[in-house]
Formats: sequence, C-alpha cells, structure tokens
Amino acid sequence: MTETGKMMTLFGVSREDLQLLVKTALSDGGDFADLYFEHSIANELSLRDSEVNSTGTHVDYGMGVRVLFGDQTGYAYTEVTTLDQMLKAAKVASKIALHSKENRTEPVTLNGKLNGNLTLNSLYKIKIPWEETEISQKIPYLKELNVLIFSADERVSKVMARISDSNSSVLYYNSEGVLASDIRPMFSLVATCIMESNGRVENGSSSRSFRAGFEFLNSDLIREIAGEVVKKTSFLFNAVRPNGGEMPVVMGSGSSGILLHEAIGHAFEADFNRLGTSIFADKLGKKICSEEISVVDDGTIPFNRGAINFDDEGIPSQKTYMVTNGVLTSYLHDRISASYYKTTPTGNGRRESFRYMPLPRMRATYMEDGKSTESEIISSVKRGIYADNFSNGQVQIGAGDFTFFVKSGYMIENGNLTTPIKDINIIGNGPEALADIIAVANNSRVDNSTWTCGKEQYCAVSCGMPSVLVKKLTVGGVD
Amino acid sequence: MSEILNKNIAKYAIDRSLKGGCSAARITLNNNIQSSYSVRNDKLDRLQQANGSSLYIQLFTEGKYGAYSTNRMEPSEVEKFINNAIDATKYLATDNCRVLPDKSLYYSGEEYDLEQYDSSFHDISPEVKCDIAFNCAAEIYKKDPSIISVNCEYGDSDDYTYIIDSQGFEGESKQTTFTLSAECSVKGTGDSRPEGWWFESSIYIDKLLREGVGLKAFERAASRLNPKKLKSGKYNLVLENTVSSRLISPIISALNGSSIQQNNSFLKGKLGQRVFAEGFTLADNPHQKGAYGSRYFDSEGIATKSMNIIENGIVTNYYINTYNSLKLNLPVTVEGPSVPTCLYSYPGRSSDSSILADDIIKKCGKGILVTGFNGGNSNSSTGDFSFGVQGFYFENGVILFPIKEMNITGNILSLWNNIAEIGTDPRMSGRWLIPTLAFESVNFSGI
Repeated sequence: MTETGKMMTLFGVSREDLQLLVKTALSDGGDFADLYFEHSIANELSLRDSEVNSTGTHVDYGMGVRVLFGDQTGYAYTEVTTLDQMLKAAKVASKIALHSKENRTEPVTLNGKLNGNLTLNSLYKIKIPWEETEISQKIPYLKELNVLIFSADERVSKVMARISDSNSSVLYYNSEGVLASDIRPMFSLVATCIMESNGRVENGSSSRSFRAGFEFLNSDLIREIAGEVVKKTSFLFNAVRPNGGEMPVVMGSGSSGILLHEAIGHAFEADFNRLGTSIFADKLGKKICSEEISVVDDGTIPFNRGAINFDDEGIPSQKTYMVTNGVLTSYLHDRISASYYKTTPTGNGRRESFRYMPLPRMRATYMEDGKSTESEIISSVKRGIYADNFSNGQVQIGAGDFTFFVKSGYMIENGNLTTPIKDINIIGNGPEALADIIAVANNSRVDNSTWTCGKEQYCAVSCGMPSVLVKKLTVGGVD
Repeated sequence: MSEILNKNIAKYAIDRSLKGGCSAARITLNNNIQSSYSVRNDKLDRLQQANGSSLYIQLFTEGKYGAYSTNRMEPSEVEKFINNAIDATKYLATDNCRVLPDKSLYYSGEEYDLEQYDSSFHDISPEVKCDIAFNCAAEIYKKDPSIISVNCEYGDSDDYTYIIDSQGFEGESKQTTFTLSAECSVKGTGDSRPEGWWFESSIYIDKLLREGVGLKAFERAASRLNPKKLKSGKYNLVLENTVSSRLISPIISALNGSSIQQNNSFLKGKLGQRVFAEGFTLADNPHQKGAYGSRYFDSEGIATKSMNIIENGIVTNYYINTYNSLKLNLPVTVEGPSVPTCLYSYPGRSSDSSILADDIIKKCGKGILVTGFNGGNSNSSTGDFSFGVQGFYFENGVILFPIKEMNITGNILSLWNNIAEIGTDPRMSGRWLIPTLAFESVNFSGI
C-alpha cells in the first residue's frame, strides 16, 4: 500500500468519501474546497532538579474543511472523522458562499506552472522513528546534559532540560483532485541553566530543533548544547546595559535572521500586501536595498525546522527569492494571494493544525552571503553595538516598526568589541533598516534554534543571516 | 459531546488509570464550542465554526508523574492511551513531591453564582453574529478617504471544564465569551500605513458593547499620523489601561512557585519583605461576579480565596501549588492569578476616589502616554526589562503628538518603586483588572 493509501486507512476515508465531502463543501456555490486531515503525537521528557522526572504524550486528531468563494473563506473542523461529522463540517464551511454574492472577487485559480511536484523524495526522511524510540533511550542524554552543565561551572545552581519529539501524519485533498500525504517529524532539545554568584542570579537557554528522527539526538549535540548554554549564561555576569539611542548595529551571523523575519519577512507575506496594509504593499519590482543583498524564504532545506515537502494547501515547497540583488522580487503567497497577484503560489500556505485555515507564513528565511568579512565590518564601526543572541521579536506591519530582544552582545568602540551587554530591546523601521544595511559578510548560516512564529497561529520556522552592519537602529538602554 | 458523556469518559479514565496501577490520577476534560465572523470592508471575509474536546490526564505512580492529553475520546482509544501512558511513566525517577493535594484544601461547594455563563449562547443565530460584525465595519468603511482597510470580527466561545481526581474531588465550570474587535489601517506619510485597533468583550451577549468599536479603531489609527522620535532620556510614563498588564506580568511570573523553586525569580527570598513602593498593593479577588478569571477552584481543585499578594509594598504571598509547596516547604496558596488588580494609597488619596487616565496625565504634567508595546522582554532572574513602545508625548496634561521607534528600559523593582499614580479604571473586558499606571523617571531611548 502507498503512503497515501495508508494515511486514508488511518483516517478511515476512501477516495469516494473525499469526493463526497468536497462536493458537499461546494454545494452552496463555493469555488474551491480542500480537506486537511491530521494525526499528531507529541512526546516530551523533562529533567528538573537533576532527575528526569516528568513526561507526557499529547494526541491531536481531526480534519478541517475549507471553502473559498472568491477570496472569502469558510472553515470548520471536526475531531471525529466519521462521515456524518465530516459532512456536517463541510456544510458549515460551505455557507461562506451564501454571503456577499454581489461583491465577490474572481474565483481563486492557479496561475502558471507549479515549481516542484508532490512526489519528490521527502526532505526529512528519518532513520529511527520517534514512535519506535523508548523513553529509556532518551533519558541518558538528559542526564548527560545535566552532568556536563553542572561540571562546566561551579556557579550553576539549576538545570532544566527537555526533549520534545512529534510526528504529524497529514492527508490532503482538494477540489482540483490533488491527493497527497506527508509524515512530518519534529525534534527539539532545550536546556536552561541558572547560575548564581555572590547573590546575583542569571539565566540562559540554548536549543536545537530539526525535522528529524532519534538519530539526531546524540552525544555531540548534547556537548554542543551544554557548552553553549554555559557560555551564554556565564557571559551575563560581566554584561551591562548600554546607554540607549540611535547607533550602528552589527548583527552577528545566524540568529540575527530574526531581523529579516520581523523587519521584512512578515511585511512580505502577501495577505498583508493584498489588503494594502503592509508598508511594502507598493514595492514589488522596486529596488529596496543594496544590490549586495538577496533574501530567500526556503522550505526545501533538508531536516530544517521550517522545511515542508508541500504546504498545507497542496503546493510543493520551494526556495523563494523575496529580494534579489536589492530588488523586491516576490511576496510569500498562499493560493488566495497568488491568485490576486496572478502568479503561482510559493508554497507558503501553512497552518498550525487542522484547527486553523492556512495563511501565508515563512519557512526558513535567510540572507545570502555578501563580500565582507565580519572583522572588517566590526572594525569599521567607531561606536555601536554587536548583537548575536536573541530571544524574541515583533513587527507592526503597517507602520513598519519592528523590534527584537537582545539577550547578549558587545559594545563596539573604535572598531573593537569591548564591554559585554545584555537584555536590551532594539527597534527600527523595516524599509529604513533594510536600506540601511551597508555591509554584508560572507558567513551566512541558518540558526537551528526552536524558532516559532505567532502570526494568529503558531508555526515552526527558522532564520539565518550573515553578519551585517545596519547604519542606524534605536537601541534600548539606561542613562 | 454532552456534559454527561464527558463526565462518563472522565470517570472511565480515572478507573482505567487506577486499575492500570497508578496510585492516583486527575482527569481534566475541556469542551469548547466557538464561532467567528470576520468582515473586511463590506463583505464577509472569514466564517469559522468549531467544536472540540480534550482529555488531560495526570498520572501519579508512586512518586512518578506524567501529564498526557488526547482528543480521541472513544473508550477504546482512551484505554489504549492510558495503558501506554502508565508504561511511559514507570521509566521516570521518583519525585515524592508529585502527589494530589491535601484534601482539606479542596473547594467543597458553590457559594453564589459567579456569573460566568450566558445560557442564551446557543440561541444566537449566525445572522445576528454576522450583522454585529457588518455593523461594526459600517461605522467607518468609506467614511474617511484615508482609510485603506477595515477588518471587524465577532467571536464567541462556550468553554466547559470538568475536573475529577482519585481522592474524590469533582468540580465543573463553564464560561461564555463574546468579543467584537476592529482593526483599521489608514494612509500615513510616505509608505507608512498606521493601524489602530479596539475590542470589547463580555461574558453576556447583551452586555457586549457593539457601538463605537469600529470608530474607536479608526480614531486610534488616525491619531498615529506623523509620529516623532524623541531624544533619549528620562520621562514620566503613563501606561494606558488597555496594555497596563504588560508591566505587571513580570511580577506575576516572579511570584510563581515554579520560578521561585527553580531559583529563576527576582522575588525569590523576598516573602515578608518590602520590595515595592509603600502604598502599592496587588490583590487577587477570585470571587468577583461577572469578572473574567473568577473561579472557585484552580486546576488542582484547590479552593481559591481573596488575598493580597503584595500589601503596601510587602510581598505577602507567592502562587504555590501542591508540588511547589512540598518542594519549597511553603503552604499551598493557589497555582496562579485569578482576578488580580492593583491598588495604590498615599496620604490625601481617598479609597473611594475615581482616578482616570486624563487625571493621571494632568497630574504628571509632562511625559509619554504609552498605548501599545512592540516586542521586548524582561529577565526573570533579575527583573531587568526593555520593551518597544508606541504612544503620545504630552505636556501640561495635553497630548501633543504620537511617538515612534522608542524603547523603555529599566528594572521592574526600580520601576515599581517609582509609582506616580495608579488609576481606578481597569477595563472589565480584560482577564486582569489592571488600571492606568504611571511611573516617574523612566528611561526612554529614541534619538
């Protein structure tokens, strides 16, 4: 039996059932309908107070029916996949077509040829499935992590660590007859370390996440995380908050990709542009930054947290150039926005689960290499800051103001990294910040931490960046 | 799924857990029915309806603990799931603090109706819901040439929770929520498209404010035109009641027993000490009729009670559940906040005085009114914070212009020792009843 056939058995549906459901979903006049079945099993195992003493398994099962009527959406889901319950959901979603008939837009259609196909080899083929991995096989890794962190620094007072793994079985069918299935694994390892010295307490965290099986959990990874979390936490004891204000900011390679995610990534999601609410709404095809800059959103990096074989509306994943040599070349599309812009979808229609309708969402967003070296960039700054460790960010799509929180970094004085800094927010304006990137290094890398985007619903993503110099951002600080 | 069926499955799950070898178990069932109608400009953009259930299973096996959940409610699936869960739990290290609560702390019966449920929930037609959203959008759509986009959404939910444990605790609660929200984008200077939002929420459909929501969203968007960035420095900070919870949140987190036990709280070791401004009180009133968050028991079944968490600047209580009580050797209070609110007293302020945002802006004279946050974070170990903000600059008690691209940076303890004023105007549509707040001499970073 094929993978898709197995999946149909899992959800207890036949092709005839799928066709009936779609027919029902379109019975009130909708243009397009799709069905999204999901069975997810997520496990977690936690260490606290030096013991592996908590575990959990979470099962989520159900299916969602979406109906499009022009650019309007009807959506309903059910957690019981009996035919009568699914038909009820389909009928609820169908009602969207009964509203606003007089001012509907054109039906959503696929334009052009899709990039890629649904039968490609999986981007996340696993060797050892999580469902075949016993808890007893995972426990030693958490214990080893705990020992390594405690033995690395006598100031360590607490360690918390967690292994999370999940497997989502997805079946997709739509009114164009596309039938596809996918098995999406996810593995995350997170360690938090608390250190205390002379009554002062600091905390640091480190994480890794991949669409991968048990084979990715190994002693090398444990050593890497242990070393990193101890380094991050101990760094904070020497760090201060700088004076605030506008200044040059050097973003270190890797997790600085949060700047791209917040400053431009969301603003390039085509739903905001279609509605005219993004500050980049009129910029398609225009030069928006230095020719040295190319930015991609890539769903095809093997084992990456943001990788998807096909998106949640049946479109093959792809590598999408949003900025090519300084020109805005593409937004990130779902079917609705691609139809509006008369282009092909980019495979960015994603959703948190069957409970949600798909929206344009990022995958792995990063900037490609430039020509400078990081040391050249740092040495060009007389007074500014260097930031390379971040926790979270946000953006106001219309105003374009974005922020990201710097857990740690350095002051730059006369071209040298000097005093360590910590716990400051940086704020800028997306188009201005992008145009203010005046140097790009040749050290681009994607950060594999547990990045999760929260636009209406949660979605696993990743981000990356070479080191860059932004001429001016507003740095939080104290007098 | 009916409440009776839900209860039967929960009881079945308890039975299976004990027969499978658990020494104790707690089952929490949640059932949720929700719908939303979203109108963009002059047409229905999204229609969503859903009904979901989940079973949350906490197993205690001679000091070993696991927490599991599933939404597959068929008895055969539940049995298989619990058997697997019991097997998984056995691998863990023993932690003798993992037990069910002291039975004497359980909630033992109703006192009065907390007014959390609108029994007309299922009688409201889709047409009425849809009209509420359309009327909201019609308040502003095409009413001003600067408007780019209007999005209004009506939403409702009916949430039912049932908790049962193997010591005999049994409790249930239900709550309805009705919301109406509006977002408006307007054409700003250059390429900018400032946004404004507003929302109203109520436990009862009849009490949901429907008029003026769209208008307020437009007014807030239009007020953001031509913002300026100010010079970095210390300013008085007035924090609007729509967002004031943001600066109380780090305190609530730091009072959590788990943070205290993990040595990850800037309030660890501060019980009984004055660490906040004298006159500042953080109270929790879980039995307030008609307030979101009101409840008679927490997720362990422990009876809630009114208490001061911080009283006149002194930390008087942490949020301690059974596990952290045994870990820290402190008495159980409650797992977390229900209906927290802030009070402030000083000589000359009467306890029944009404103090609104305008009064506070006048009192501060000159400063920045913050009406929104943009990212930022705070350090749970130290209380150091830095947040992006938006709002308005004011002088002589009069708002002059909007500000942009600014951060506030400081330390939570220092901030809350520089209170200028605390209002009496919390929004009842929020889960925490935090009024307008004002602080002196806060670091703002701008130019």
